[in-house]
Amino acid sequence: MSLAPWLLMLPALLLLAAVYAGPLLRYAWLSGHASSVLTGLIPVPNDGANWQRLAGDARFWQDAFQTLRFAFLSVGLELLLGLAIALLLHRPMRGRGLLRAVTLLPWALPTTLMALGWRWILNDPYGPVNGLIQGLGGQPYGFLSTPATTWLATVVADVWKTTPFVALLLLAGLQSIPGDLEEAMQLEGASRWQILRRLTLPLLLPYLGLAVLFRLAQALGVFDLIQVLTGGGPGGSTESLAFYAYLQAMRFLDFGYGATVMLATFGLLLLLALAWLLTLRRLQGRQP
Amino acid sequence: MLGFLIFLLVGLGAVGAPLGLAWQPGQGNAPVAATAAEGPVPVRVLMPAPFVDATASLAARFNASHPGIRIELSRGPLDTEALSDLAVSSLVLGEAPYDVLMMDVSWTPKYAAAGFLEPLEPWLGDHALDPMLPGARAGNAFGGHLWRMPFSGDTALLYWRTDLMDAPPADTEALVRTARSLQKQGKVRWGYVWQGRQYEGLSCVMLEVLHGFGGRWWNPATGRTELDTAAARQATGWLSMLVRSGVTPPAVANFAENEALQLFAAGEAAFLRNWPYAWKLIEQEGGPVAGHVGVSPLPAAPGQAGGATLGTWGFSLPAHSPHPAEAVEVIRWLSGPEAQKELVLSQGYAPTWQSLYDDPDLQRRHPLLAVQRQSLELGALVRPLTPLYAQYSDVLQRQVNGVLSGSRSVELAMAEAQSQSTRVAEAIDPR
Amino acid sequence: MRALLLLWSLAPLLWQLRTSLQSPAALAPPATGAAAGAAQAAAWTLENYQLILAGDPPFWRCLVNSGVVGLSTTLLTLLLAIPCAYGLHRQRGRIGSVATLILLAAALFPTVLLFLGLLETARRLGLANNLLALSLPYSAMGLPLAVLLLRSAFDDLPPELEDAAKLEGLDLWQRLRHVLLPLLAPALISTALLLFLFSWNEYPIALTWLSRSELLTLPVAMARIGSSSVFTIPYGAFAAATVLGSLPLLLLVLLGQRWIVSGLTHGAIKG
Repeated sequence: MSLAPWLLMLPALLLLAAVYAGPLLRYAWLSGHASSVLTGLIPVPNDGANWQRLAGDARFWQDAFQTLRFAFLSVGLELLLGLAIALLLHRPMRGRGLLRAVTLLPWALPTTLMALGWRWILNDPYGPVNGLIQGLGGQPYGFLSTPATTWLATVVADVWKTTPFVALLLLAGLQSIPGDLEEAMQLEGASRWQILRRLTLPLLLPYLGLAVLFRLAQALGVFDLIQVLTGGGPGGSTESLAFYAYLQAMRFLDFGYGATVMLATFGLLLLLALAWLLTLRRLQGRQP
Repeated sequence: MLGFLIFLLVGLGAVGAPLGLAWQPGQGNAPVAATAAEGPVPVRVLMPAPFVDATASLAARFNASHPGIRIELSRGPLDTEALSDLAVSSLVLGEAPYDVLMMDVSWTPKYAAAGFLEPLEPWLGDHALDPMLPGARAGNAFGGHLWRMPFSGDTALLYWRTDLMDAPPADTEALVRTARSLQKQGKVRWGYVWQGRQYEGLSCVMLEVLHGFGGRWWNPATGRTELDTAAARQATGWLSMLVRSGVTPPAVANFAENEALQLFAAGEAAFLRNWPYAWKLIEQEGGPVAGHVGVSPLPAAPGQAGGATLGTWGFSLPAHSPHPAEAVEVIRWLSGPEAQKELVLSQGYAPTWQSLYDDPDLQRRHPLLAVQRQSLELGALVRPLTPLYAQYSDVLQRQVNGVLSGSRSVELAMAEAQSQSTRVAEAIDPR
Repeated sequence: MRALLLLWSLAPLLWQLRTSLQSPAALAPPATGAAAGAAQAAAWTLENYQLILAGDPPFWRCLVNSGVVGLSTTLLTLLLAIPCAYGLHRQRGRIGSVATLILLAAALFPTVLLFLGLLETARRLGLANNLLALSLPYSAMGLPLAVLLLRSAFDDLPPELEDAAKLEGLDLWQRLRHVLLPLLAPALISTALLLFLFSWNEYPIALTWLSRSELLTLPVAMARIGSSSVFTIPYGAFAAATVLGSLPLLLLVLLGQRWIVSGLTHGAIKG
């Protein structure tokens, strides 16, 4: 009897182990080896040289900074916008189903599809944004050839695509809040802002926490968007850690170092996730 | 419900089988020799999409005259890096979905060192390249083996407007002078357009500009880069000046071949750096500049020897090919003089064979031939012949694109490019 | 507010629709300036659609490929996730919460970091260039979320129900088949939709596991559209592909939004 649940879980757990644990163990092994074009792609032990290289690899740390910058800004914006959209969609109104479906649409589309779309929309000088600028008498602007606007473009593209997901999770949270609580506060004369601050947000906290955790993890692994929208440019200013790892493995054929970069990215992610969980616990502890 | 799911899964498998989706474990390692008995041996050639259209009639002619072999052209992505990713993943997977790979000249050492390719000299002999123009022979051999048969002898060229000037500029200074005065007169919006995006095309531009200012990217004797030199800083400084002074649009930092060509073909620029295919296209499309385009070798700084990057494609034989003999037959045909003559006339690709440059019929029908020969003979520049080229190129692209997009100074960029290249070379060395 | 939300969600897509109906010449007019606008408005065309549908391989082929991978992934994942979720539902206490934690961690893991290891696995087991084999890693990546969603759906069912079925002498399979799963239908549908969406959109693994051009899935094919024209940037063709590639999803979202919302609403947090 006590064995049955385990047996039922076994096939799924085996597949998970093969797909998650397998590669991670392989990376751990590979990161202790040189395996590149100079070794004919045959792994040769190299006494931690990959890790030494990582520590002194300015590009890795620059990419780490760029990835974090991207993740924090886009997740932050997604939370704000997602909350606004969730509050809007929570209100009863006509055509709410249709509106929800339309709002969800960007999230359902493949990233590569819209990354190409954004490349065209921001094209200099033929894209619609520059068309608008020129129509107003301005000069076309190289949104994707200026580092500052290019990384903001990656943020906009990511916010456009994933805000619906955040909104959806928060909507789920809103629906779990009993309506009479809100009515009670209204009767006590609380303003909308007070209700939001003192009732809605605290009750939403677990949902916010989960949304941030999910989005942070995904944003730190950003790859599709960078590869298709910017290719890491201009001047490497939008390169992400996952894209760097991909370049090491697939373009430079340096599997040993590529595996090292991936493990390090994973480690960084783990640290951030733990930090966020601790913050969340403290936030929740502070609640009445 | 579960039974239904299983049913669907099985059904899907049954439907999938005829579509080639069926489970075929281990198909990568087993040579498929048994199929040879049933009809012609298929030879699948992976190439960028435009070459598929260009060579379709050649493949058809070959298939008609070789009943034992059938060429199947596979349409790969247009973008060189995307094609490289595709080729690499198919090679790393150890499967051989392709029997012949069309490769960029810059991939040769990397692929050879990785053990992806089969040497060609056992099939073609040690003197296969001898009847080619010397400039077109480079970049095909590495480490004492021949890995690749060139499909063309393309070098970068300078395109200029015959309706705006009488002769091409003699050097880089003359180019800037002419461009500026034409811009000042309002004849063109931009002076000179080229490729400045962070991609392989920028490395091609850098190779020839470095050479044109008396520097060099890489020293074959020491195996190290030489980017932190006065000549290298001047070269990069010139490109940066073009953008800063408005001769080149700032958007060049996001330009590949297409974007630059589009602007030039629309009549908005006086000069263009591009490959030979652009000439045929401009003339065929009949835009505002058709009939007013001159082509010449790229200029260098005053007193320096010019040179142009060799940007050729070529054919290689992947290791573990199930039918190498047939694949080599196809390589021989597609890179041969007959095929090249047809491609010169239809596409404008520069030939590699000396005999074609001496062919009076071709000289008459393809006016660009003399310039193409001149450019190859003046100095066809090969990108560093090292398996680490991809890393070097990536480092240089990032730094120079950073300069072009205004985020770092020339001095800093070149110092960084040098130190990063050295660090990669030292770190990756297994010893 | 509502209008703003609609605009924000739809404007980029509508622009792609517009782009897809314009000829390359209209997209990049020969001379910028006043005359350009007129040329642009005039030229509507289906050229771009013809181009990508007549491509080699034709574009519908990647839609079919994505559909095949999506269906087989969804089915395989449900097949594994249902027993696992049930097992987890029955497995109380410390072990159950450890398993839940592992699943949550796996659900958070950015799967792109797995591609190199999975590439080597594909080589060793000969799984490359096989759409059904691609469902294996996809299922593993969809499993954590699917199990968590379904587990909380199982938890929501009144326990008396299963006890009653047990008293009637139904075995585990019968209880699942006749009592529990029919009640879980909404959760199953929403999980299936999420799984399908995930596998339809997955990019890095497809990028590295598929090298035959006739097997490419939509996201990879998009990034690699081989246009025969080197003269212009094929933005029209990209846009046409975007429109065709979005249509199935538009339908799916329109028909399934109720399930997607309710699925996440009921399931996501309770783990």
